[in-house]
Amino acid sequence: MNKIKKFVSNILKDYFNEQDKRELIEMLTRSLEEKVEDLVEQGTPVEKAIDISIQEFGSTADVLDAFPGKSTEFRQNAMRKRRSQFVFSLFGYGVIVGLALLINFWFRDFFGGFLWFGIIAIGMLFWPGTMYFLYRIVKK
Amino acid sequence: MISSDIIRGHIDTIVLKLLMERDMYGYELAGEIKTRTTNKFEIKEATLYSVLQRLESKELISSYTGEKTHGGQRRYYQITPLGKAYYREMIAEWQVLNDIMTAIMGSDIR
Repeated sequence: MNKIKKFVSNILKDYFNEQDKRELIEMLTRSLEEKVEDLVEQGTPVEKAIDISIQEFGSTADVLDAFPGKSTEFRQNAMRKRRSQFVFSLFGYGVIVGLALLINFWFRDFFGGFLWFGIIAIGMLFWPGTMYFLYRIVKK
Repeated sequence: MISSDIIRGHIDTIVLKLLMERDMYGYELAGEIKTRTTNKFEIKEATLYSVLQRLESKELISSYTGEKTHGGQRRYYQITPLGKAYYREMIAEWQVLNDIMTAIMGSDIR
């Protein structure tokens, strides 16, 4: 049943304040577990019942539909949060790559002229890249 | 199947109406809506359970843990006096809307 709670938590991760989210996760998880129990009582194997319940449950948008007038506010809050995280990741990326660049050139002779900061610059791209991807998901 | 956009504003009324008839648990409510509308309107469970949570936080319904006839425990929802009053208000609004639509559409609608 952990699979259900994980699924529900993932659906709500960008929305609601902590207390509302906790209550909603608890409530949605319990209702889904009851559905699983009903399906199992009707003869469906447990794992299949869990998969069916998750597939038929719906998405984040369906949860937000239950809060008319507030869904736009929830979406805007989530977008604002993800945008801040993206901007922070860009800033962090700039600082780390800048430091690497500085050290690399400062001790250029020590590193035998090897420009290793490039590896860091490429490798660290995953951070703003991931944040941008998450921002785009919420924006959709 | 009817567009969920049209009926979205009436989900609260539908849920309250069904709970006026008898106490039900979440999945039971979803099944009841599907059966009564002969599959013309299938509410997503994500929406229905969230509506239940919202109605409970507004004290229009309350919940308790009960035994299912042939099975384990379920969280049952029941309508509160406040919920019944709200339902009556919604019905009055619906009648006004119905009158307006009938006055405009006339014989085009049954």
